Amino acid sequence: MKGFEKMDNYKKVIKKRIWILSFLVLLAVGLGIFDTFWASAEMKKSKIFAFQCGAVTALGVFSACLLIHYKKILQNEEDLKIQYNKENDERMKAIKAKAGMPMLLITSIVMIIVGVIAGYFNFTIFFTLIIAAVCQLLTSFVVKLVYMKIM
Amino acid sequence: MNTRIKELRKENKLSQEELALAVGTTRQTISSIETGKYVASLPLAYKIARYFGLTIEEVFDLSEYIE
Repeated sequence: MKGFEKMDNYKKVIKKRIWILSFLVLLAVGLGIFDTFWASAEMKKSKIFAFQCGAVTALGVFSACLLIHYKKILQNEEDLKIQYNKENDERMKAIKAKAGMPMLLITSIVMIIVGVIAGYFNFTIFFTLIIAAVCQLLTSFVVKLVYMKIM
Repeated sequence: MNTRIKELRKENKLSQEELALAVGTTRQTISSIETGKYVASLPLAYKIARYFGLTIEEVFDLSEYIE
């Protein structure tokens, strides 16, 4: 594939990501409004509800930051190429594979979502799943840091 | 693995960032290859060598792989 074709395809990928991130920001705002105005008083007392609100806020802020970043790089060809190189860098791909990415990230996110849902029925399950997910992510992060140092 | 990338960069007055951008990688990867921490894949080695108008053997020291 020629260089300009590669960058055109990458631009399409970035535009798709912008759509997904916009949806996530809207979802976070929607859930935030629901949590603030329509959640029952009983629900608001729950510790899981507080965690869920925090997680939704974090999701919204993180998505918004990424959205701004992608919008910015779409306007500059050099920034776009640097981002493309970063994402397709063979050394980083090798490091991420050693750190178990992206599967560890996916399983951790699933565990957090399941933990929040299960938490409304059993608090112990909530704690177990959240701690396991955080430990997984921390281990992966440490492995990534170690390999970034030695590779 | 020893390489001549740093020397060639200096000769051509190139920064690691400029070389990285030209061959489609990151500054950190170029730095790791130069210090011998990371061995470049065949496609990347080819791109680097071609960028300097040389062959892979002229840029990368392959003696440790040749019996």
